[in-house]
Order: sequence, then structure tokens, then C-alpha cells
Amino acid sequence: MISQSNGFATPHDWAGRYYHIDQILDASGPRTDPAFSAGDEVKDFLRNKAKILVIGAGGLGCEILANLALTGFKDIHVIDMDTIDISNLNRQFLFRQKDVGKPKAIVAAEFIMKRVPGVTVTPYFGKIQDKDEDYYMQFNLIICGLDSVEARRWINATLVNMVDGENPESLKPLIDGGTEGFKGQARVILPTITSCYECSLDMLNKQTAFPICTIANTPRLPEHCIEWASVLEWPRVHGEKKMDTDDPEHITWLYQTASKRAKEFNIEGVTWSLTQGVVKNIIPAIASTNAIIAASCCNEAFKIATSSAAYLNNYFMLIGTDGVYSYTFEHEKRADCPVCGGEAVDMSISSELPVEGLIDLLVEKQDIQIKKPSLSTANKQIYLQAPPQLEAATRPNLSKKVSELVPPGGEITVTASTLPFSLSLRITYT
Amino acid sequence: MINSSDVQTAIVADGAVPDNKTRRYDRQLRLWATSGQAAIEQARILVLSSSATSTSILKNLVLPGISHFTILDHSLVTPEDAGNNFFLEGPESIGKYRAQEAVRLLAELNEEVEGRADTRNFREFLLNGENNGVREWLSGYTIVIVHNLDKDLLETLSNILWHDDSFPPLVVVRSAGFLADFSIQFHEHTVIESHIETSPSLRIDNAFPALKEYALSLDLDNMDITDHGHIPYVVLLVRALEDWKKEHNNLQPKTYAEKQSFKSLVSSMKRKLDEENFEEAESQAYRCWTSSSVPSEIVSLFSDSRLSAPSASLPAFASFASLPPFFQLLKALQIFTERNGYLPLTSTLPDMRSSTEEYVRLQNLYKRRAEEEKAEVKNILIDELGGKVDDSMLDDFVKNTHRLKVLKGRKWGAFVHSNGGQLIASALETSPKQAATHLGLSALEDVLFKKGYSSLHGKAPAPQITIEELTEAAKATLPPGVTLPETEWNEVAGELMRAPTADLPNTAALLGGLVAQEVIKMITKQYVPVDGCCVVDLIETWTGII
Repeated sequence: MISQSNGFATPHDWAGRYYHIDQILDASGPRTDPAFSAGDEVKDFLRNKAKILVIGAGGLGCEILANLALTGFKDIHVIDMDTIDISNLNRQFLFRQKDVGKPKAIVAAEFIMKRVPGVTVTPYFGKIQDKDEDYYMQFNLIICGLDSVEARRWINATLVNMVDGENPESLKPLIDGGTEGFKGQARVILPTITSCYECSLDMLNKQTAFPICTIANTPRLPEHCIEWASVLEWPRVHGEKKMDTDDPEHITWLYQTASKRAKEFNIEGVTWSLTQGVVKNIIPAIASTNAIIAASCCNEAFKIATSSAAYLNNYFMLIGTDGVYSYTFEHEKRADCPVCGGEAVDMSISSELPVEGLIDLLVEKQDIQIKKPSLSTANKQIYLQAPPQLEAATRPNLSKKVSELVPPGGEITVTASTLPFSLSLRITYT
Repeated sequence: MINSSDVQTAIVADGAVPDNKTRRYDRQLRLWATSGQAAIEQARILVLSSSATSTSILKNLVLPGISHFTILDHSLVTPEDAGNNFFLEGPESIGKYRAQEAVRLLAELNEEVEGRADTRNFREFLLNGENNGVREWLSGYTIVIVHNLDKDLLETLSNILWHDDSFPPLVVVRSAGFLADFSIQFHEHTVIESHIETSPSLRIDNAFPALKEYALSLDLDNMDITDHGHIPYVVLLVRALEDWKKEHNNLQPKTYAEKQSFKSLVSSMKRKLDEENFEEAESQAYRCWTSSSVPSEIVSLFSDSRLSAPSASLPAFASFASLPPFFQLLKALQIFTERNGYLPLTSTLPDMRSSTEEYVRLQNLYKRRAEEEKAEVKNILIDELGGKVDDSMLDDFVKNTHRLKVLKGRKWGAFVHSNGGQLIASALETSPKQAATHLGLSALEDVLFKKGYSSLHGKAPAPQITIEELTEAAKATLPPGVTLPETEWNEVAGELMRAPTADLPNTAALLGGLVAQEVIKMITKQYVPVDGCCVVDLIETWTGII
């Protein structure tokens, strides 16, 4: 049953190197797809042909790169636009104190290549949006370990758009992981086939937004004082100078300003750390949760690449605060998903609602969340965020009622510069 | 959700930019604060073997900053080890002591952590334990972790550590291919800061005198209209409830109709249509009939036998102060709740529509009352019971009485063996997949041991195992008449047969995360560790508890 072969051995492989993994690749199990062909062919694909992209070289990314390298992927690419910060070192285990300030993608790639012989990791220090479809087309699989909703939406929409029914190679499985404290999730997205990232937008935790009148007039929590310092006082005092939440001096200024206000209102609890947490929207992160989620993502990648076992269908979530609780389920496709659904989203609004109000709704609504949307119908522009001339020309529409511009049952196309897709809204009035 | 008071304690020098250590640990301090971090920084971890799974677990404990770890492993790195373990340097490590290589590479992750490789033969060391001080040695650790330890050694170790409470908990981790399980052997684990997301009662149904007095003192009809729109809902509900009770024989709304008419009463108190504080009061009206009596989970903790002894045999004060502090506090809490009918008040208020002034006033009312009730608990503890607990623990305890947790652990193997196998038999009925996986891993352990295959580390060729051998071993542990669930068993056994000694990198990494999370919860005494055996299936990607 056990063969000692390594596919087509490369100079870096040594006898016994894949002893553990080959137990899986040399035989099928009771739940393995009958199409699985144990032995050399699958090993050759994994070790010599498969090309995989990792997006993010942070908390999840470091773990993902190490796992992929050990499981036998030899051609790995990684994209990350960040540099290493001291607060990364409690979990991003490929980085050391001496690496602080250097690009994550490059340091991570070098570390993996040094530790795991024969693996090539090609780093790109930059944004995913810098790359085009041709670039993404070269990979067999993509794994995301990102902390940004915006970036996930972009890559998800890009991969869905890339699917060409005539060309099976154009369908790139996307495996997405995310963590927050002791909680996390991993999921498998087969663009156009399973539910996509956009389909599940409403599952995201809603960010706490404090009403501006509370911040300005009736602060009650330390967070209200901090928001006052960053949203109202910073621009008032510093004018055009941009606030840099990575600059400790800026945080100190915000902390002191917020503290003064808190004292004035008898509010307790403003600290430097809380100030930093609120303005940077810091999400707690630990090594162990990242390890669980990254391993689960890489395990799905391994199963998809080798067919050695069934893969996740399609969502795994874990809550580790009270015991070990997890839930595996099939998240369903949304017919009116603006990325993979094709149907327009029905939206019922008051006939009195001004365009401005509709824009606020689009920003806030859990299943839409489009920042800075531009609106148009088939034959007219309602409001465009850019370029400046068109923004100025369409600005007067903001105070008009939507019902003056769009007939009942009419469609509005919503776009945003950050998102590579448009949303169709079918408007009815109440 | 992060409680701002947790974060508050995470900062060392208020006002100053945090030092390098605080910055390094910032993202975890936001979960367990300086108290949790201090516990981690005192922890000494012992791990038997330096398999891929073992080093993955250690990685996730070294990074957050434990004090010390020892790897006990006398084996030399094989080519097989060098292929699947990130904390070995490929072919360069082959032939060297595996523990030494792993310690060197793990210690790089965090300069604050001390690592030690112990290359004594642990089979000899453990089995001749009585003569060479193995007990004393083991008791120097906070927690002991083993991965795929040979069956006889596991039994010996678990017996030693089960001897009494003074020995560290034992985490037993087993894996083969895509399947794994782990459990923690401990006698008892108490948690004050469980972080369970239940909010403490605001006690609106039973407002304390100062709150009631304040609510009744307001001239709602004649006050300034802006002020009227800024009274916090807590005050409005207390007031409305008093008004209601006057009209209803001093009774609270009980039936659905009464509740609806109470809500209308709240709504009718509006003086302007858009007063959001009243809308909030209406939506929070359920708090008026949610009883502030002691939750049943907390009452059930009072049945602990250690609590009944002192009050029955007063004045046995000497023995009371020797109880673990948690149980001294629990006894004081029991007396407090028997006298008052509720848990001590906490001063944390949720945010609500209100002016700053009114909110701060309300906060102060709660704070003052919470201090008084804490003083009452302290008085019971010290003056009446003769207890002795330090103030910071008392503070934490009183703040968290609504979410205290006491876990009763069990000895390793008790699940399969106790009650004549009835536990596993019923698990096979209720959770056949999970139970079959657990049983399968036990059967595999047994078969490998009988074949003389040390699971210490992988070495080609992998042993050949048959499904019959596994089935026979599994059946031997079941009580007569209990059968294996056929489909589930075949799936498990077939998978174990396929990869009996595979320590897959992804499985290892996943276990590394899961086990480290549980160990952190044990060490910090924050959050709630797993109660039972956690089973993992990475084919269908699920975890379960039996």
C-alpha cells in the first residue's frame, strides 16, 4: 500500500521527506472521491505544477505560508502591502524585532525559503489592485488571510468576473480566512458556483458607529470623547494635516485631547491604549486562533489540490471563548448578490427620501455597505463622486427626492471606485 | 466585544506611550489584560515529544510569552521528522537531538521565553519514577502536554498527575491523518473572569432605594423639554414601573396583555413624538419583568459540599480560611444571595440615550450601591465567616458573579472506562461521528502499542493496520451488547488505516492552535476551557465535544 516515491523528485527532496503526507496521497480513504488517483500523478501536480497565491502575509498569512510549504506546494506567491510593526510580533512568527519596518511579504518569503528547502515563494510588496486578471489567471488556487473587508470584496468580485464558462481553468477556488480574538472562520468559495464573499456581507459584525450629536453634545463613554478628539478636534486644530494613526505622537495628542474632554464631563476610562484601539479600530489577535483558521484554510487547499478527501462545503466558524464551539454549514448563494447573483436588489423607500438619504442607506445597510457610491440610471447621472467637474454638476441632485428622478420600479446602478462591480437597485416607493 | 475597563488595565503607565513590551503584546492584552498576561508569564510548560503537533502547540504558547518550556524527548531527528516540522531545519537537523533543535528554533520566537531540551529517555524516567523524583519534577510545571504518547506511558503519567490537586493538569493530544482529539485531565477549574457574554442585571424590577428615590423625584411633566428627552431609560422604566404598581396592587406586569399595556404607558409618558430615550425605554421594557433573582447556574454552584460544612458546624472558622479563595467567596456569595435574593450589583452600565450629566449621575448611583453591596459581601466573608481573600480577587469576583464557572474535570480515559462504558455507549448513540472518532483513536493507540510501534516519532515504513484489528480493539472497550455505528465506524477506521502514523502539517497546525487556546484559558483562568473531549475531523472540517 505504501509507496516510497515522491512524484518526480527534485534535488531538494530527501527520502522520507513526505512520509507523513504520502500516507494520504498513496491511498484513498472511505470518504475520498473515486476520481482520486493515488500516487505519483497527484504528487507531481502538488509538488511540481500547482501554483498558489496567498493574499496577506500577516497573522494568517505567516501561518498559511508555513503550512503550504510543509504540505508540499513548491510554487507559492504572496502579496502584502504592509510593513512589519512591533505589535505584529506576538503572532506573526516569521518576523523578529530586527525586521520591524521591513515589508511583510519579502521577509516572510525569505524566511520560508530558508526554512523549507526547495520551496519558491515569490513576494509582491504592494496592493492586490495593482495586479490584473492575467496575473490572477496563472494560479490554481488563492488563499486570503486579510483583515480588510474592502480588499476581500475586491478579490472576490475580480475572481467571479474572471469565470468564463468556456474555460474551466478560469474558475479559481478562493479560500478565505478571518479571525477576531478567540473567534474565526474559514470558507471555500468556488466563484459563480457557491456563495461568494459578497453574498455573506450581512454576516459581518456591525461596526459601532457613534452618532455625531452624541460625540458633539452628550458624551457618556470614554469612546465618545476619543471620537470627538479624532473626528472633530483634529481637523479643527490641524486643518489639512492628515492624522496618522500609526504615529505615536498623533495618538498621544488625541489621548490628551480626549482626556481633557472626559475630565470636563466627569467621564472615566480614557487611556492611551483605548484611544489607539478606537481610532485604529484594533481587533484583538492571538497566535492560536490564527493557527486554527490558517490550518483549516490550508487543509482545504490541500484537499482541493489533491482530491485526497472531500473539501469543506462551505463555511466553518469557530468560537473559542466558551469551550470549543464550531459550526460547519453551507452558506447559500444570494440570487440578488451584486457580484454573483445577477438579479437586481429590491429596495423600497419613501417617495419623500432625498438622494442624499438614499446614499446614507447604501453606506449603512448590512448587505450593501458601499462607501462613496455613485448613482446613475440607464439614461441619466444622479450623483457621481468623481471626477470633480461631474461631482459638482450632479451635486444639486443630492437634495432632490429620488422619486423625482426615478420612476417606480425603475433601476439605479450603483458603483464605487473601490469595488470592481456595480449594484442594480430596483426602486419602489412607499 | 471589548470592555473598555479591560483595556484600561492593559496599560501600564497611564498617559505615557506604552513601552515596547506592552506594544508587542497589545493585541492579546486586549483579550486578557495585564492580569492574564502576568499568569502567562509565570507559566512553565512541559511537553513530551517534539512532533510537528507538539512544536505547533508550543509555538502558540511561546509567542504570547510563557515563562519557560521544557521538551522531554531523547529521539534524534529522522528524515521523516525533518519533512513535516517547521521547527527543524530540514536535512540539516537530521541526526541531531530533536528536542534541542526544536527548542533552539522555538526560543527564537520570543526572547523573553526560556526553553530547555531534556534528552533523558522518558520511558525509563517515567516508568522508574518512584526512585528518581519524577513526581517532584512534574509538580514544578504549570501544565503538561503530550502528543501521541505510547499507551503505557500515558497511563503511568496520567496516574501520577491525577494523584492530587497539587499536580499540573495533563493535556492529551492524539492525531492520525485528518482525525484527532484532545482532552484535559484536571480535578477542578474555577473561573471568575469567564468573559461569557451575558450582561449583569440592572435590577430594574427591584430598584435599589437611591435609584427608586431619584426616579420618583423627577417632575416629568413640568421639567424642561430638552431635559425630558435626555433622561436615561433605566430611570424612566423604574419610574413607569412604580406608577404601574400603584395601579395594580403593587404587582408587576405579568400577562402578555399587561406587558403590552405597560409599554403603552411608557410611550404615553412622551411629551414630544420623537423622544428617543422613551423609544429606548419601550424596547428595553422587558427588563422590568426579567427577574433579578439569582440565575440557576449560579445557584447550582452553591451545592458544592465544601460550602455546606462551615455553616453547619460553626464556629469551624479555621477550616473555612483554608478553603480555596474561590470557594470562600462562593460561600460569602451564597449567604449574600440568601439574604437579599439577588447577586451583588455591578457598576457597569450599558450606553443609553441620555445627557452626559444624567448618565454620569446614574453611573454614580450604581457605583455607590455596588460599593455598598461589595462591602456587605466582604463583611460576610471576613467578619462572619473568618475568610481571607485578597481585595483584588474580591473585586473581580463581585464584578463577575453572574458568570462564574466551575468545571469538574475527569481523569484521562475515564470517558471510555467509567460506569462500565455507559458514557461511551450513549455517546455512540447521540453523537456517533464524534464518539466513533474518539474510539477509533483509542483503538489505534492500542493496536500500535501491541505491535510494538512506538509513536514517539515517524519512521518509514508506516505500520500496516487492518480494519479488523481496529474493530477488535474498539469492541474490547465497549460494554457487552453495545455495537459500533457501522457507517461512522467504517469511515473512521478506514481513514485511520490509511494514515495510522501521519502527523500532517495542517492537522498539526490546527491542533497547535486549538490546544494552545485551551492551555491559555487554563493558565489565565479567563474564558472557559473545553469540558470533555474535543474531537476533530478535517475531512468534513468539524469539531465536536463528547
